[in-house]
Amino acid sequence: MTHAEATRLLLGPQRPAINLGLAVEMANLPPGPIAVISAGWQEAENDVDQVGEAAGRSLECLSLYHRTDEVLGASDGLAEDYRERQDRLMELQRLYRLRLRPLARAARQMFGVGGDQDLLAAEQRHAVSQLRALDRHHLHRTESIHRQFEERYNTSTTALLREHSDQIREILQRCGGVIITGGNVAVLLNRMRMFGVHRMLGETPVIAWSAGAMVLAERIVLFHDRLPQGRREAEILGAGLGIVQGYVILPDTARRLREKDRLRIGLMSRRFAPDTCVALDNESLLRLDGSRVVHADKVRGLHHDGRFTRLRTP
Amino acid sequence: MNPSLRHLFRKGTPGPAEIDAFIGSTEFPLVDGSDVTFVYRGIADAVYLRCWISGLDTAQPFQKLDGSDLWAATIELPPGSRIEYKFEVVTGDSRQLVVDPLNDVLAHDPFGANSVCQGSGYVRPHWTESNSDARPGALDTLSIESAAFKGARDVNVYIPARFRRNRRYPLLIAHDGHDYLQFAALQTVLDNLIHALEIPPLIVALTQSPDRLREYAGDDRHASFLATELLPAMSDKFPLIPDAHARGLLGASFGGVASLHAAWKYPGIFGRLLLQSGSYAFSDIGRHQRGAVFDPVVRFMNAFREEPGCPTDRIYMSCGIYESLIYENRSLVPRLQAQGIDVRFEEARDAHNWENWRDRLRNGLSWLYPGPVWMVYE
Repeated sequence: MTHAEATRLLLGPQRPAINLGLAVEMANLPPGPIAVISAGWQEAENDVDQVGEAAGRSLECLSLYHRTDEVLGASDGLAEDYRERQDRLMELQRLYRLRLRPLARAARQMFGVGGDQDLLAAEQRHAVSQLRALDRHHLHRTESIHRQFEERYNTSTTALLREHSDQIREILQRCGGVIITGGNVAVLLNRMRMFGVHRMLGETPVIAWSAGAMVLAERIVLFHDRLPQGRREAEILGAGLGIVQGYVILPDTARRLREKDRLRIGLMSRRFAPDTCVALDNESLLRLDGSRVVHADKVRGLHHDGRFTRLRTP
Repeated sequence: MNPSLRHLFRKGTPGPAEIDAFIGSTEFPLVDGSDVTFVYRGIADAVYLRCWISGLDTAQPFQKLDGSDLWAATIELPPGSRIEYKFEVVTGDSRQLVVDPLNDVLAHDPFGANSVCQGSGYVRPHWTESNSDARPGALDTLSIESAAFKGARDVNVYIPARFRRNRRYPLLIAHDGHDYLQFAALQTVLDNLIHALEIPPLIVALTQSPDRLREYAGDDRHASFLATELLPAMSDKFPLIPDAHARGLLGASFGGVASLHAAWKYPGIFGRLLLQSGSYAFSDIGRHQRGAVFDPVVRFMNAFREEPGCPTDRIYMSCGIYESLIYENRSLVPRLQAQGIDVRFEEARDAHNWENWRDRLRNGLSWLYPGPVWMVYE
């Protein structure tokens, strides 16, 4: 099997129903322990007993959250630069949001008004392309901040990072697969990037749910229509790890998205095309070998017309 | 007449057994669209509805229904409204204020209990009710020797579930903290909102004044207690985020005045204010009409309106439209906004009571202390 065909099983939230065990079975992992990445749970990272029970295997926790804390605690310079990077990313996200809001509103209006369809179609296309251009720009800007940091601090330049990376690689080598849990998607992404875990995965089968599935994609899209303060426009957080290509992963859409708002759903689909926006809800299971869908159960795709349709196993 | 009552009286005056059956099978008060009919059964010379709605007469008379011992009064109540009320029953020289005997829904406050009328469309928010999935926080007590008050003050402290010493937490200081716990379900609300990731885990200092009408009325001692005694004590004992945007004050009624006053006296210390039905009495000219207890409030509010400065960054304000303070609250909003303060103001079809304040907590807390729900995908 080549890297491009490595098995990735993407799941929705593991509540109320749990289908992690089914995914482990389907992945046909060799006997032995499975590595688990649960940095998205932050301080509760090591509380993985229930994951082990559901998987039916023993687990080895990579403890990326705690490792990062250790690294940051050991180097004032690195910690300071890390905080500065995070501050810059946060500020950039705020500026992006300021620009995104009017563009998204205008695009919605273009799809909401009636009139001469010939005239409108061009305006609609242009409105979407403006959104896409802003998203691209933001992706480029966030990535350059990440890269700047990673050029300065990596396993070649920083002994403590190298030491931890070596330990992580060793764990991965004795494990037959990797489980990535949900949680805080930004924290999970940052901690995986810190040790370059994505570059160590190679052909290792990966089973990931919710935030874990989001970070595997090329772009991470944040969304929630049911916030106490009302809905917000979907935002690009930044580049994901790029292990899963061609899909934008949207977990828990039944709860987070106003699915009947076809205008909004349709716009989301157009904005992130050519990638397919995939809704992963509780009990969803999507198996990809490389970019090829091998199995899809209770997985839905978003369409330009604002509908959801089931992804089918070929 | 309300349709249910009209039906009961369709064949003339109903007998006692028929009335018993009607009462046993009916929910009171009778809500029919925007008309609400209150019913009292008993021997009396007169019955009044007392519901303290600004804009309506304080006492609404009941009508005795043809030859029966039933009394009824109907008021118009817009959908989504919630009001608290009592009946005043007059017999000879006796005037008794009682809760509605036919309505089990009660709201409690430091003065006792009131009956609650929920207009059509009002639903108690789910996040105010206990949820077994939400991990409960704990309550601790901190005793502070206060130089400002020349004596000891006990402060209860809400500590969120899964509290960890190596994390840093935002702080909220609540006025009338015990009342917020007892009458506005604050602990349940905090547990639920933290569980739903709508607010971050935060530490709440729950203060309770032995003389609130004096200490909360723009009293410099109280402001000094909060900023120079309670805050340092909390910072010593708990891992707090050392930034104004992570420090807030909460208060209702006079507690709202106390919060605004403390932020004004110590600008830049408290970056978040959650003010509910604040008693912001002021006078443009001449004397105010609210009684002597408001004198210090008016002195402070007049000074504040003259020179508000920039006491804080962000304020969430709420007020019931059935309370007379709606005028003062509405007029304060543009004054605050003109100072560059980010203000969100919410009006509710409710009055000056704890359940109104309870029902607004989610909007206020989640705006002032946004939680990680946007970033968390479980």
